[in-house]
Amino acid sequence: MKLRKILALVLVMALCFGMVAVLSSCGGEKNYAENNEKIKIGISGPLTGGAAKYGIAVENSAKLAVKEINAAGGLNGIMFEVEMLDDKHDANNISTNYASLYEGGMQVSLGTVTTKPGLEFKGYAQADNVFFLTPSATGDDIPEYSNGYQMCFADSDQGTVSAGVFKDEFQGKKIGVFFKADDDYSVGIKNNFVKALGNALGEVKMASFTEATKSSFTQQVSELKDCDVIFMPIYTEPAALFMQQGKGIIKADAIYYGCDGLDGIDAEFDVSTITQGISYLSHFNSGATEGAAKTYIDAYVKEYGESAPLNQFGAAAYDCVYAIVDAMKYAIENNGAEITVTISASDLCNILTAVFNDKNFVFEGITGAPGENGKSTIKWTDAEGNATNGHVNKTPVSYTVKGVTVK
Amino acid sequence: MEFLNTFINGLSVGGVYAMIALGYTMVYGIAKMLNFAHGDIIMVGAYMIVLFLPINPIVAIIAAIVLCALLGIFIEKIAYKPLRGASPLAVLITAIGVSYLLQSLAQAIAGPTTYHPNPLEKLFPKFMGEPTYGIIKIGAFQIKLSTLITLICVALVMIGLTLFVKKTKIGRAMVAVSEDKGAAQLMGINVNNIIMITFAIGSSLAALASVLTTFESASVETTMGSLPGIKAFTAAVIGGIGSIPGAMIGGIILGLVECFAQAFPRIAPYTVAIEFSLLIIVLLVKPTGILGKKRREKV
Repeated sequence: MKLRKILALVLVMALCFGMVAVLSSCGGEKNYAENNEKIKIGISGPLTGGAAKYGIAVENSAKLAVKEINAAGGLNGIMFEVEMLDDKHDANNISTNYASLYEGGMQVSLGTVTTKPGLEFKGYAQADNVFFLTPSATGDDIPEYSNGYQMCFADSDQGTVSAGVFKDEFQGKKIGVFFKADDDYSVGIKNNFVKALGNALGEVKMASFTEATKSSFTQQVSELKDCDVIFMPIYTEPAALFMQQGKGIIKADAIYYGCDGLDGIDAEFDVSTITQGISYLSHFNSGATEGAAKTYIDAYVKEYGESAPLNQFGAAAYDCVYAIVDAMKYAIENNGAEITVTISASDLCNILTAVFNDKNFVFEGITGAPGENGKSTIKWTDAEGNATNGHVNKTPVSYTVKGVTVK
Repeated sequence: MEFLNTFINGLSVGGVYAMIALGYTMVYGIAKMLNFAHGDIIMVGAYMIVLFLPINPIVAIIAAIVLCALLGIFIEKIAYKPLRGASPLAVLITAIGVSYLLQSLAQAIAGPTTYHPNPLEKLFPKFMGEPTYGIIKIGAFQIKLSTLITLICVALVMIGLTLFVKKTKIGRAMVAVSEDKGAAQLMGINVNNIIMITFAIGSSLAALASVLTTFESASVETTMGSLPGIKAFTAAVIGGIGSIPGAMIGGIILGLVECFAQAFPRIAPYTVAIEFSLLIIVLLVKPTGILGKKRREKV
């Protein structure tokens, strides 16, 4: 009896060691890129389903950027290519997508287009030490590990950044906030906004709703009826209902100011009967008429036609590709890095993180407020030169749907 | 002024709850069952508005009310009548089943799109547009046309229903059935017909409630009836389930509590919790509700 027990224990231990051995050989140091002929940039995003317009814009824009870079001679002759897989904005597809991309020779990545799948993606990318710079996954935790970076503003940063816009633009105005009290996104932004605003603009009037009270805002409208500017870090559906029910009660010249949740409100709803102004914090103006943004828009429309989805997601992806290539150039010129077409993802990751955390690395792009040369300056370090743990540092632009243009 | 505004908002929100609660309480009083599918009748009514609004707003409102009344009768005939005499639990579970059935059917037919129909904008396009936007201003006091209509409708329904129950033959038959079904039957009252009429009235009131909600451009989606349904049920219980004036009082109280809670930013996020806590307090202090009758249990 005792012998059998010992035997069983030994067998179980053998099995465990066996599994560990198999697992470690899976994740080992194998360089899947050894047969690559171009440096492969992998992306996972929604190409079908409700969020497809974002994924398609990202794919189009990333391919446009790669086409331009290759046409200009690439990176000292090294060419690039983009591979994008469809995740339908569903985190369950990430393990398969990631494995196909990684084992298919992906050396660097734009991560995912949306946040939920991105939270899954970052774990795999960390395990293999793959660098990713996401154009549009805004979750605060996306750049949790040292290999993850964002081109978009993180959710919580949007509150701080919006407060900055309010201090600059809305001095002497009465400010109201309308937020969703049971939503992390909304509460997170609201808290950071209130904290960053402090007492700069006097008392801020608050009104909120929850999932259970989202069908009528009669009371909230009367709470905020005296405000000149109403900050609404919420999504389009409740915002449109609030604006509808606020007609004639909210000041006719008031401004509704939102974050990226309001992106697309004019496409989804008829806002023509709303007299109030509508603006939202963005990092890209898809109606830009000058500067680098305009050059991108023209090239995009020429390549994909008028009907292709054009939005800030795509613009950010375009910037991501250029930022990665610029970082490689920077590494070669300043850090003496050696980059070949078959470099392993892990080696490239180490090179890129060093550059992105370097205070002297400044990328000039199309997202963020444009400077004198029509391009914006984008960094991943703060004013003191410290790395921001993957969060982007650039000046926002407000996208005005209607009414007085907010800068 | 702020107080008056909140008070009027409370009355109009509460009026809609009261109207839905009447359906709950009447059905409970007469058929002794909790019709949890009642909230989803609101949703069906709202979809009827979406469907018929392009034809004509008046047609849409009438169609919503009539079709919901018919739906109420149909549900009663198909799902509840065969269970007459079954255990209350079986009827309750059936009602929950009907509720989900209606939601799923609506999802299958109408799809996931959210609609925002507003019959009021079609009825009074000029007044609802610039520059008045459907706001009536009397000096410093202002009230929305939709709110005013809601208040008038609720008052009329309450007066009408009270008169109906007290003065008409069918109304008194309803009271008789709710007092003692067996005795009423012996006196020559057709209990099945009375139950059917009760369902028809309850469902048409739910439809009227949905019409009033669309006046406020509420979002029409498949789950829109659940929460108002539960709140109206709460209102009915607070007022004393089975009692018609109780449902009215319960609804108004709930509406006032909701709006006054939302008027204070600190407690606004907990509005729904406060409303349901009220239910618990009422049940603890006066288990039969404010106007509920005490029943003597014979041992």
